[in-house]
Amino acid sequence: MSRSGLEHAAVGSRRISAGRLARIIVMVAVAVAFVIPIVGFIALAFRSQSGLESGHDGFLGLAGMSWDNAVYSWSQITGFGPGDGGLFQRWMLNSVIVSVGGAALALIAALPAGYAFARLRFRFRKTFLFATLLAMVMPNTVLVIPIFLEVNALGAIGQLWPVAVIMAFFPFGVYLAYIHFMTTMPHELVEAARIDGLGEVKTFFLIGLPLSKQAIALVAFFSFVANWTNFFLPLALLTSNQQNKTISIGIQELIGASPLFNATVAAGLDVKLYLPQLALATVISMVPLLAMFLGAQRFLIRGQTVGALKG
Amino acid sequence: MSQTIEMSQTEAIVTAGRSRARRAGRSRAETFGAWVLLTPYSILFLVGAAIPIGYALVISLQKAPTLVNPESGFGGLQSFVTVVNDYRFWSTFVNIFTVLIVWLPIMLIGIVGLALLIHASRGRFAASMRFIYYIPGALAGIANFVLWVYLIDPVQSPIAFLWQAIGADTYKEVITPGNMPFIITGMLFFQGVGTWIVVVNGGLNGISDDVLDAAMIDGANAWQVAWQVKLPLIAPWVGYAALMNVAYGFQLFLEPYLLRQISSGSVVNEWAPTQLAYAFAFTNRNFPAAAAMSIILLLITLAIGMIIVTRSGLFGDERAERKGRRK
Repeated sequence: MSRSGLEHAAVGSRRISAGRLARIIVMVAVAVAFVIPIVGFIALAFRSQSGLESGHDGFLGLAGMSWDNAVYSWSQITGFGPGDGGLFQRWMLNSVIVSVGGAALALIAALPAGYAFARLRFRFRKTFLFATLLAMVMPNTVLVIPIFLEVNALGAIGQLWPVAVIMAFFPFGVYLAYIHFMTTMPHELVEAARIDGLGEVKTFFLIGLPLSKQAIALVAFFSFVANWTNFFLPLALLTSNQQNKTISIGIQELIGASPLFNATVAAGLDVKLYLPQLALATVISMVPLLAMFLGAQRFLIRGQTVGALKG
Repeated sequence: MSQTIEMSQTEAIVTAGRSRARRAGRSRAETFGAWVLLTPYSILFLVGAAIPIGYALVISLQKAPTLVNPESGFGGLQSFVTVVNDYRFWSTFVNIFTVLIVWLPIMLIGIVGLALLIHASRGRFAASMRFIYYIPGALAGIANFVLWVYLIDPVQSPIAFLWQAIGADTYKEVITPGNMPFIITGMLFFQGVGTWIVVVNGGLNGISDDVLDAAMIDGANAWQVAWQVKLPLIAPWVGYAALMNVAYGFQLFLEPYLLRQISSGSVVNEWAPTQLAYAFAFTNRNFPAAAAMSIILLLITLAIGMIIVTRSGLFGDERAERKGRRK
């Protein structure tokens, strides 16, 4: 009860103290430093190379923005590729396929696994849970070369399905589901279901699953974001097949074809990919993430304490 | 302190008692049901972690096939010797250490400082600041990199004055070996700090109001509360953030790999350990060496991961149960 009152007095919201002022100034200054590059970058997507070169686009290039510039840049981005181009759209589609496929498989695996870890007792439970936590805190790129060797042995390099399957291994999702069932599904409920004669699997489907909306949203969101932004895995598994690249490594190819960084390659192309085109391609590649974020927002806010434990 | 120890002891006894009772009553059906539910995840665990690790171990113990002798076979630790004696091996780790030295202190001060500032603020202001700090985190990976291509452009960047101050007029002059730790620090800080603020904020929100009220009644000012009360209480989260970021440092790939691509060759191809593993696999086609390098990196991150899971006190059943009770 007294917290807000005391804190008011302590941080001195009733009067402007030097400490309070300093706090606000620091916070706003950091915020400005974070926002300026992003505003400048989005503006860049709507500028033209000639505008950039002229140096007359004003503060952060905001005065040089126009829809026509973006339309031109779009024609350059989509014109990239053999024949009439179209690689960019293809890469976006590939990213949708592996990200959605990976997230769907991750959900199918994570929810029952999280439930079993949280509410059932069985041999090796502790060991398996420990291994899952370990896999969760380890950066996933250390496994990419071993995974490449595995997929190479299967002769499946350059195909999309192994990428989706590997992405579906998402220990953080299992951990989220485990925490979810620990916190929302009382032991008593499981016991009651048992007394009613329900089997363990049925209990999960009839009682656990209907309670999991929150967990489903969180696992789907975090898994989709991780898959969409994954770079090293598709780089190792898909680079050899230009048609099957995902957008993250596709943008790398666009950078490599820019006259800014590789004049020889760029000279042989019909399209010109300068900074505005690269920025537009990047901004467009972020749209699905934004859509996911808006869709999952209310779950993210509610599940903050749960979702908070992973960077 | 002693109180917390007592608490966890009673808790351990209670849990142990409960699990003993449950163990006695454990039915075969429960075990069977559990493994049915775990089947999809177990398969993915095998395919995504266990088999690749095991297979990499096997490969790493093979001889590298050469043109003269394309036969591979058991080679013992030969490929590990090859890797460690490679002229680039130690320099890749030195590079990572230079990044960690610059980046880690800045990152931790940024995370803890901003999280404490947000926690000392209230209402819409605190929420919107936290949101703004979080935005760059959405630009993970390649998007963050392209943003930085713009930021390190010596002419167009809003921080172009910085590059001009060090006398750099081209990308090549900005991206030098000496500048690499600072550029990578900028990239990682911008991309990561917001997410970690949310994590540490979660820890701060777990501090009970009574503790803070008591400190204020004792006459502590906001600064003293932050420094002497809040900071010690969120130490586990800060430790967790530090270790996770160290582990992250060892597997840096995207940033040095792409910086190399836009540097016109002013930085080396194999700058980070993961890039060296990548080069063994894709440039030299020496799979045993690539596997050996991966195993070395795996052991390092595994060791850090063990410390995080066992020592941070943030994981495990007891903690999850506590969370449940709090709700």
